[in-house]
Amino acid sequence: MPGHDDTSPPASRAADDRETPHRLSRRSVLRGAAGAGVAGIAATALAGAAVPAFAATARPPAGAARGAESGTTHEDTAEQVVVHVRDARSGEIDVFRGTSQTRVRDPELAARLLRASR
Amino acid sequence: MSSHREAPEISKDPVADSTDVYAFVSPDKPGTVTLIANYIPLQEPAGGPNFYEFGDDVLYEIHVDNDGDGKSDITYQFRFETKLTTPDSFLYNTGPIGSLSDPSWNSKQFYKVTRVDKSGSHVLARKLACPPCNVGVLSTPDYEAKLGRPAVHSLGSHGKVFAGQRAEEFYVDLGSIFDLGNLRPLEQFNVFGKAHGLKSAPGVNASNRLNVHSIALQVPISRLTGKGRPTIGVWTSASRQRARVHAGADTASFVSGPFTQVSRLGNPLFNEVIVPLGDKDHWNRVRPADDKQFAKYVAHPELAGLLPVLYPGAFPHLAALDKARTARADLEAILLTGIPSGIIKGFTNFTGTVQADMLRLNTSIPPTPASSKKFSILGLIGGDPAGFPNGRRVTDDVVTIELRAIAGATVPLVDPKYVVDAVVANVTDGLTGTSVKNQPLTAFPYLGVPYDGYHNPS
Repeated sequence: MPGHDDTSPPASRAADDRETPHRLSRRSVLRGAAGAGVAGIAATALAGAAVPAFAATARPPAGAARGAESGTTHEDTAEQVVVHVRDARSGEIDVFRGTSQTRVRDPELAARLLRASR
Repeated sequence: MSSHREAPEISKDPVADSTDVYAFVSPDKPGTVTLIANYIPLQEPAGGPNFYEFGDDVLYEIHVDNDGDGKSDITYQFRFETKLTTPDSFLYNTGPIGSLSDPSWNSKQFYKVTRVDKSGSHVLARKLACPPCNVGVLSTPDYEAKLGRPAVHSLGSHGKVFAGQRAEEFYVDLGSIFDLGNLRPLEQFNVFGKAHGLKSAPGVNASNRLNVHSIALQVPISRLTGKGRPTIGVWTSASRQRARVHAGADTASFVSGPFTQVSRLGNPLFNEVIVPLGDKDHWNRVRPADDKQFAKYVAHPELAGLLPVLYPGAFPHLAALDKARTARADLEAILLTGIPSGIIKGFTNFTGTVQADMLRLNTSIPPTPASSKKFSILGLIGGDPAGFPNGRRVTDDVVTIELRAIAGATVPLVDPKYVVDAVVANVTDGLTGTSVKNQPLTAFPYLGVPYDGYHNPS
């Protein structure tokens, strides 16, 4: 059941609130992260598209559902990812997308993200 | 308060802040159980132009454990979506709101209800309308008939549901209690009250004329209980997605990742009064099944040690108990396991040895009619087994019940030789349900009509 903080969705979470864990390519993460101008440990990216995150989001159309918090619809957010470099030395990286979280260990990718953020 | 702003982190996130949970056999439909989870505390009725609403980015859940392991066997999930009728207007409404579909109501909120159980995830209903907030006599005339009652939706054989603003029915003298443990009726005995020359005074309900947002379900008992196990454990939780990027001048905000729990509530006042400040945020993140780590705070509650200090000479037996470091098995039973059979004649709400903070309701105990002499807002300690800590009814005086329990009233349940201090019978913050202006309804969703901003501007 929901209620604890772990890296995988709770077993009995409603399907609507789950997404199948998926892998992102290093290339897509880097493209997005570099474009977004990562600030040290976190990056936003539009999955699979070589455009900056800020260019990929827009104000909601008039009359649209206000969606999650202010400004975006649920559909918009499902196409974006957040990358969190937890530990640059070990290369431990969390990738958040939709309602999933994927943990990868890739020191080279972590190093490149850090370089891109400077 | 019961659980209003009870922990540092959640006090800054009111949309996800659970304030009260109620669970009781419905008095007018005894084949059903009513479950209510309140959120968004201390709402001033005149809260415009952006009146209160549920969080579209929050996953709200009501959990039911029916096998005693502190884990949810049945979860009802609620997801909300806000839609603007006229985005170009700054107004909540552009005319009187006469129905749930009235186009003059600009900011409408809808929700989806999902039941998760062993057979999987089942959407029970989509696009159910919440009522608007009770703005005032011009904007929301005839509120309950035109807006409140129509927002009670049928879930077919699963019962009925309501989600929206309601009157706060929890009563507490917050202004006094957190002023160095002062209880106005006894303040002449409080060590600081005595120094200030205070005299005994009636309680003042700090939550009167305030609103909350409620999620209420009325479910057939048979859909909640396990075979041969009439007692259920109930709690609520609110979760947010783990990653959040705030909007910038040229970017919209968004959230991402799995939901992680940021708030929960089972027994009233558990996190507020039992769990110390340094652990409160952590408590909000874990499940009842993991509550063994907090059992030490129940066994040795800080407040039990403070009462003899704050009221010198009034609690000699409690002071001796505390000095001897006697573990409070009575409180552990009431709050963490339920009361086993054989302790109170004809009563049990024991769910097993797993220590978990859940509101335990023995659904086989019939509701006590409010007109009955047996009915007591003091619940079990008042001789009424249909009240707290056997679940919790809307009018139960949980502040007094828990104060008295911590002060030693329930120690004889586990130690018949213990003599309860004489003052305990008078321990109270001096309030009853009559201190609430908008009284509870006699039918679902039971919580009273929300206060309107015009008549309750501050």
